[in-house]
Formats: sequence, structure tokens, C-alpha cells
Amino acid sequence: MGSSEQSEPRRSDGLFLPDFCSARVVLAVVLLAELVAILLTLARYEAGEQFWDNLARISLFLLWCTLLSAGLLCAARSSFAARGPAATSLAALGIVLASVAVVSAGAWWMGRAWQGLPALLAGADTGRLPVFMSTNMLIAAIVTGLLLRYFWVAAQWRREVREEARSRIRALQARIRPHFLFNSMNTIAALTRTDPKRAEEAVEDLSDLFRASLSDATSTVTLKEELELSRIYQRIEEHRLGDRLAVEWRIASLPLRARIPALSVQPLLENAIYHGIEPLQGGGTIVIEGSYDAARGVIELTIENPLAEPLAGGAARREGNHMALDNLRQRFALAWGGRASVQAGPSGQHYRVVLRFPAEVSA
Amino acid sequence: MRVLIVDDEALARGRLQALLARDNSHEVVAEADSGESCLKLVAKHRPDVVLLDIRMPGMDGIETARHLAALDDPPAVIFVTAYDAFAIEAFDAQAVGYLLKPVRGERLAEALRRAARPTRPQLSALGGKGGARRRWIATRLGDALRLIPVDTIQYFQADQKYVTVHHEGGADLIDESLKELAAEFGDEFVRIHRNALVALKCVAAVERDAQGRLRAYLEGRPDGLAVSRRYAPQVRKRVKKG
Repeated sequence: MGSSEQSEPRRSDGLFLPDFCSARVVLAVVLLAELVAILLTLARYEAGEQFWDNLARISLFLLWCTLLSAGLLCAARSSFAARGPAATSLAALGIVLASVAVVSAGAWWMGRAWQGLPALLAGADTGRLPVFMSTNMLIAAIVTGLLLRYFWVAAQWRREVREEARSRIRALQARIRPHFLFNSMNTIAALTRTDPKRAEEAVEDLSDLFRASLSDATSTVTLKEELELSRIYQRIEEHRLGDRLAVEWRIASLPLRARIPALSVQPLLENAIYHGIEPLQGGGTIVIEGSYDAARGVIELTIENPLAEPLAGGAARREGNHMALDNLRQRFALAWGGRASVQAGPSGQHYRVVLRFPAEVSA
Repeated sequence: MRVLIVDDEALARGRLQALLARDNSHEVVAEADSGESCLKLVAKHRPDVVLLDIRMPGMDGIETARHLAALDDPPAVIFVTAYDAFAIEAFDAQAVGYLLKPVRGERLAEALRRAARPTRPQLSALGGKGGARRRWIATRLGDALRLIPVDTIQYFQADQKYVTVHHEGGADLIDESLKELAAEFGDEFVRIHRNALVALKCVAAVERDAQGRLRAYLEGRPDGLAVSRRYAPQVRKRVKKG
């Protein structure tokens, strides 16, 4: 996902066409032109004709058309960016038709100039120019129309997938926030008079946390930064829960420069507190344990909280918990494919989430 | 007014305490950190108003209020909550007093002026929205409430006027109808007769006695309870499953 697409989704409206400046797209277009050439040759084939000669001539003709069109589309790409899909489609169609017209005229003149050469195309040497040209342009218009339609649908689909992922992340962030936000505000309101210094700290911590939560959901941070954020979160909750909350960090062996998707550990700590500590009258201990397998380059991070009965409104929160985990799974899959995993479930008297991911230093 | 503050978080209690201290017309008679201790302190101090947090470990605010409503002269209740979408909707719909954290001084004053006791229908509607069953049944001992954990109840039995709760600690009278109890605890209890509601987990066997009448035998109670013809199919089905 490029950053330009993220920051201005509307701009990509006119950019539903693939980038014809890239070699990969040009190769795909050339292959497509060959398929059309085979199709046209087969359609005109009659017994006794020389199939391969015809294919070669049509291919040559189509490659000229294709490469000329691709070149022009590449040059025009920057001006497409500002336009809507209809204008872009019309412009692209115009470019293709103009290219076909130019190449057709060229082929026709070549056929006349060198009578001795084998005709470039059936009809080019015998027929009249307007007929030859309009036939070619009609074929080009139909094929281009189909392609434009395909590109449009594919772009729509991609955009929907992206939008859905983004809105889910947003929904998730919105779901986690309110309870925590208002409780923290209440804490700060209470501390302002009794302990201004702690109130100040809490405001600073809360700001750091919110700044992190506003960052791009697909960005990565170092493990050190993510664990730091989790500790900030823990500090805020400690004001509120007092002695009821204890967190044991066993992370000495972790390579802190390894990168991890932003906000992957903090939401798990939040879940652990919400589901595991708050419902317990006497509170409890959360254990965060990290281990590093240097030989395989794999980091394992475990977050464990006591199992407790849900509080009022617990059913909805349970769903929230699954959403947080599903979301994390998606982001891990996006970052590392099958090399990372997120496992969660009860284990004895505890609920345990295990993250496994490769230790990679660069983003 | 005499006020009791109930919240599991010390800072939240401190904040309400500080807000109330600004105004001389109110007196905080006690603070409780759980629903259970709230019920004890209400019996002891007889406050006019209870400021009641909803999300608390153990007995939550809504269940606490339901038990309070069973008292002869219950205090008014103002719920306090940080963010519970379902509860806020329910409060609005039922016109029950509530405050949102962080609580504003003037809102608190206003709520205290209008403090009213939530009615039983209001409370059961609040409980219903959250899908929360009570986890205790309260019986009255004079002014105080005695709480019986629902897990320890073997069966409820109705006679003319009262319902008796038979539980591990003995038997007590309560002022609720079997029909309401059956609706609330239908998952764990089964109606076996017009006059009896039995905990599924306590049923050891359902058999015919010497006279050919169907009876449910509970663990540790050799005499068994009559199963009426009307409820027999349902009882057989649910006991087999459980």
C-alpha cells in the first residue's frame, strides 16, 4: 500500500488503470496482444492458408499498436491522476484508437511502397485505406473497452478490500477507546487536586498513548517502542486499579531492535486487564514473557492473565477481544505471511496469548 | 442528604467525595468498594442516596440496585458509569438517574436534587438489557439482606404465599414469584411442578416411585420432589441433556 493512495483515496479514482510505465505491465500487455493476434488469425484461418505467416504479420502489427499505446498511456499517466474515471477511460480509448490509426496508415503505405514484400496484413495491399483503418479501429475499440471495464472492476474490488480493512481497524480503535478514555479522564480529574504531579504524568502518558493510536495502522515500530508504549499504558491503569494490578515483565532476552506492527502488544495488555484483572475483586498478576530463538530467528511473546467471569456488559466485550485478536492475526499475516502466528486460549486457570514472529531488524 | 459512595476504584470514590465536600448540604456517610459491602453499609447507615458504580468485580451495580430495591425503605440510587453503551441506552429508556464519569459537580448536584428510587420494572429492564442474571438471591433479615449465591441453590419451592429457597446453607423465605425466577434462571433451573423450580445440576435421577408417580431425586435428599405430568416431558429432556 503506497502512502499516496492512503492519504488521498479520492485521487486514485482516475488511476484505476495499471501503470503502463512499469515493465511488468508492459509485458502483460504484450502477452495480451499476442493472444488477440492468435484469436484474429484463427478467426480468419481457412484451409490451405499459411497460419504461421498470418500470425507473424498480425503480431507485428498488433505489437506496434500495443507498444505505441502503452508508451502514450505511460506519458499521460500523470494527467490521469487529477481526472475522474469516465474522463480517464475516454482518454485511454482515444490514445489506443489514435495509435491503431497511425500504425494502420503506416502499414498501408508500407504495403503500397514495397509491392514485392509480403503484405503486412490481409487486406492492406488490396483494400482501400478507410475500410482497412476502420476495421482495425473497431476491433481495437472493442478489445480496449473490455479491458477498461476489467481494470475498473479490479480497481473497485481492490479499493473495497482496502476500505474494509481500514474501517475495521477504525472500528476496532473506536471500540477499545471509550471505556479506557473516560476512566482515565476520571482518574486525572481525581488526581488533579489530590496529587497534581501524578495527574501531570497521567496526562503525558495518555497523550503518548493516543499519539501512537493515531499513527498509521499498517506501520511498524521496534519492539522496544511497543513495549515502552505498553508500560505507559500499564502506568495509567495502575493509577486506577492500584494494588489490584500487577504486571510481571520477563523480557530480558528479547532483541529490542526487531520490528513489530504498531499496537500489537498494548491491546493485548489492555484485554488482559479488562478481562482478567478488573473482574477480580482481589486483582491479579499479568505475566508478559518473551523468548528469542537465535538459531531460527524467531521471537515468542506470551501474555497471560487469570481467567475471570465477565463483568456487566461482558458479552459485547468478549466480541471486542476476538476482534482485537483477529485484527492482530491479519496484520501479522500481512507483515510476515505464514512465518508468524497468533494463538490464544485458556490454559488451566489462565488465559494465554502467544505471538510468534521472525526477528527482523529493518522495516 | 446522606450519601453512600460505591465504586471499586479508590480514586473514583475520592473524586465523588471531593465534589460532595464542596456543598454543605450533603454528607458522605460511608464508602464501599463492592456491591456486597454496599448492601451491608446501607443496612448500617440508612443513607438517602447511593452513588453506585456499575462495572465492579463480584456483584455489579445493577444487581446491587436490584437487591436494594427489595428493602422496605430503599435508598434512592444514582448510577455512575464511565462508558457502557448498553446501560446508557437503558437508563435513558427507563428514566433512571445516572451520571457519566468524569462526573461534573453541577450534574451531581442536579442528580441529587432529583434523586429517586429506581422501580423494580426499571431495574429488571436494566438487567435484561445487559443479559445479566443475578448471581445472588437476597433474603431479608429485618433491615439487612442476606445473600445466597445462586450456585448454592438446590431448589425453590412455593407454598401459599411465599417461596422457600433451599440451598447448601439451609432454607430461607423470599418475596419473589416462581414464574419470575424461572424466567431469570431458566438456563440452570427447570420447573418440575407448579410449585417447584429445581437446579439442573442437583438432579440425581427422575424415576417413578412405588405408587407409579414420577419424582425428581436431588443429591443428598432421599425423599424426592413430585414431577407433575405437565412438566414431565420437559424435565426428562433437560435432565438427560444436563
